Amino acid sequence: MTAVLIGRDLRKDYAVYGQLVHALRGASLEVSSGEYVAVAGPSGSGKSTLLQLIGGIDVPTSGTVEIMGTRLDTLSDSQLTRLRLTRLGFVFQRFHLLPVLTAQENVELPMAEAGVPRQERKARAQELLAYVGLEHRAAHRATQLSGGEMQRVAIARALANRPALLLADEPTGELDAGTGEGILELFRRLNHDGTTLVVVTHDENLAAEAGRAIHMRDGRICD
Amino acid sequence: MGSTYWHSAWLTGVLLALWSVSLLGQVPQIAVERPLAQELGLEVGDTIRLGSVADSAQQAAVVAAIYEPKPDPAEIAKRERHIRMHLPDLGAALGYPDRVDRFGLTLQPGVSPASAAAVLNRAAFGYRSYSSRSIAAESSQTFLVVSRFHRAIAVITIVASAVFLLCIMLLKVEERRLDAAVMRFVGVRRRTIFGAVLLEAAVVAAFGSVVGTGLAYLAGLATNAYYRRFFDTGLTFSLITTDIVLFSVALSLALGLIAGGLAAWRLVHTPPLVLWGRG
Amino acid sequence: MGAWVSGLQWSLQSLGRHPLRTVLSVAGIAISAAMLLDMVMLSGGIDRSFSEMLLAKGYQIRISPRGTLPFDTEATLGGAGGLVGTLRRDSAIESVAPILGTSLYGRINDSLVTLFGYGIQPEAQALYQLERGTDLTPDDSVGILLSGPASALLHADVGDTVNLVGRLDPQIAHAALMRRLVVRGMVRWIYDHREQPSVGTVLPVMQSLAQQPASDRVSLLLVKVRDDRAAPTVAARLKQELPRLQVYSVADLVSVFKRRLVYFRQLSYILGTMSLIVTVLLITTLLTITVNERLGEIATLRAIGISRTTVVRQVLFEGLALTLIGTVLGVLLGLGTARYLDGILTSFPGLPAAFSFFVPRAESLTTAGLVLLITGSLAGLYPAWLAARAPIAPILRAEAT
Repeated sequence: MTAVLIGRDLRKDYAVYGQLVHALRGASLEVSSGEYVAVAGPSGSGKSTLLQLIGGIDVPTSGTVEIMGTRLDTLSDSQLTRLRLTRLGFVFQRFHLLPVLTAQENVELPMAEAGVPRQERKARAQELLAYVGLEHRAAHRATQLSGGEMQRVAIARALANRPALLLADEPTGELDAGTGEGILELFRRLNHDGTTLVVVTHDENLAAEAGRAIHMRDGRICD
Repeated sequence: MGSTYWHSAWLTGVLLALWSVSLLGQVPQIAVERPLAQELGLEVGDTIRLGSVADSAQQAAVVAAIYEPKPDPAEIAKRERHIRMHLPDLGAALGYPDRVDRFGLTLQPGVSPASAAAVLNRAAFGYRSYSSRSIAAESSQTFLVVSRFHRAIAVITIVASAVFLLCIMLLKVEERRLDAAVMRFVGVRRRTIFGAVLLEAAVVAAFGSVVGTGLAYLAGLATNAYYRRFFDTGLTFSLITTDIVLFSVALSLALGLIAGGLAAWRLVHTPPLVLWGRG
Repeated sequence: MGAWVSGLQWSLQSLGRHPLRTVLSVAGIAISAAMLLDMVMLSGGIDRSFSEMLLAKGYQIRISPRGTLPFDTEATLGGAGGLVGTLRRDSAIESVAPILGTSLYGRINDSLVTLFGYGIQPEAQALYQLERGTDLTPDDSVGILLSGPASALLHADVGDTVNLVGRLDPQIAHAALMRRLVVRGMVRWIYDHREQPSVGTVLPVMQSLAQQPASDRVSLLLVKVRDDRAAPTVAARLKQELPRLQVYSVADLVSVFKRRLVYFRQLSYILGTMSLIVTVLLITTLLTITVNERLGEIATLRAIGISRTTVVRQVLFEGLALTLIGTVLGVLLGLGTARYLDGILTSFPGLPAAFSFFVPRAESLTTAGLVLLITGSLAGLYPAWLAARAPIAPILRAEAT
């Protein structure tokens, strides 16, 4: 299987109120195409930091990240941004939809940025919203959606530009158990349909759902 | 023979004296205002020629004095230049030895100018009498218009400032909505939060008033310095009185408190969950 | 174009999230825009209005006694007949209008009212517009034209007879001269102030009524040059040829007038600048606070691949949207406040009624609008810079806690 993501000996230190925090202490990770990987661990174990590094959102203190054979440290800021737009998809704990836009417009946003023609992106957005079961809520503003619906729209947005890798940071953290289960079902379906997933979670049940679970503690991968 | 000689000599001397006196008497003396003297490079003792029309400047006159003109707001923009002459000399130069534009009258003690003017107006054909106060009022019309204009600009500026102030206060208060929400969650009363915001607004308004007063004072100094130089005058263009300062400070404090009060009222009447972002 | 339109639309929607804040900001910008527009009108209006007034009848040059402005003193020009003849023989000159201005009196029963008299040549006049009745003819020695205030003062209308009195002698309490004249028409004197009671007769009649002996004397000559473009050249030539007279082109008079009203021009620059500063401060403050509030949103956008350029553009669009709405409202408000301020300033005593300080023209509106739009857009630069340099990871970390 082709390696979509390779992270080698990743370290990340940052300052918080003058104190140096060693968030990652040499983590290495490899994810192949079609995999569903969960990164689990208690709060403060470095899971979100790892996700941010492999997603190109943050820069490691040392170590390297390769996405589809491209070393992230060789890219400029605008190239990194472009890579996040076209190769990666992000789902956040707090959804972070644009409240003034409708569900459809939120899903279209990355495609508009990528230069996809209007008709094409409208059609794709509708297709994605149907995939996540929200075609009937396309015209509703994000503020009019429930938590679970917002997360589904966020997932649809993350899939807009057909990413090679979908990264999710605590996707069920703000949701109740029932709604969270719906999101997990969606992830299962996505992976079954070929999407490569890396999901960060503190929930061991969610970790068990994945094809492979990586556990972290104190900035290190335990297994 | 001897008496004839002395008679002739005496007559010659008298004639000479008369001629000298008449010569001196024929050259009028003038006083020139300082700006004109500077422009023409005149000094006391210089002789100039005067005339009532451009092609007849024949009358010689000696500069006897250079005076500083009294600052007159009505004249500063006109850039007219003045000299002073004895009335008979001016009349002679103009060819109107017995004409004047106006009389100035000093009244006996106890006589009111208004009643004196009324009497004169009844009696004098072709004249019109005015009290100095009424002339001053009439000739101040221009400055009354300027004052009205300034007041209108001030009103517009105050309205703009009030809107600006309210907007900024709302923004600053909204920036701290999470803090306010937490305070409400832990049981702090609305009254307390309202008072805190209002107090802060009052302090900012008071500080702003002091700074504003200082800025206004500096601006006034700059204005006077600039226009005194521009118009070459000693007039005062910007005057900051105690009343003006008190009014401005009171107004800015009031506006600050009103803006702060409105923003605070809005903050404390928004449900805490809405402030938190979950409502 | 699509990106611009959708960007602006997105900005408007973002502004709509906080309607009260947006309304207040727009109100503040509108008031500043109104002030700026008014100051632009004031700075350009004075000389424009004055020029238009001077050229109302197309006379481009004025000749007055040396060292005086037209009608500024009682000085007069002698040998007027010869001078007018000389000028009329000049091939570059189309028309010459001699005018004598003098104060005189109207008798109503036993009392006298003060009037201002114009002696003119009806076949070449540049002072009035006929509103009712008929104009004077060149040889009409018993006709008179009245302004509205003069008509009210004399209780006379077209067809009535009025008694004019000149050269009062206070020693014998007698007027040296009295003339009975028939009102031919009602006119609007172009250069009169609002309440000025002016009357007009043919030149010889007014010369006879003048306070000082005025035979063959006039206060002012107005000269119309055949080719408008040649007017400055002709004025310069006349200055050379008539060194003992004061020759003014329209530009000369405007320059003098501007010097007298220099304060208003300077005030317009100061207040206009302050308006721009207030606009910039308001937009910058609003957008900065908005950006700070939405840092999480901005970090997310950057994380999902939205470029810095797009983020910056959005912030600038919000500033542009605020400025656009504020400018449109400000223009409407400014036209209203300009009328109000003009009403104040045109009450200056002695100011011609035809004169305006605030003249709304397409040019001033465009200038003010463009300056505001550019300035308001630039005001978003600092908050846009804040948004562009927002660090993604630390913000997302902070959002998660």
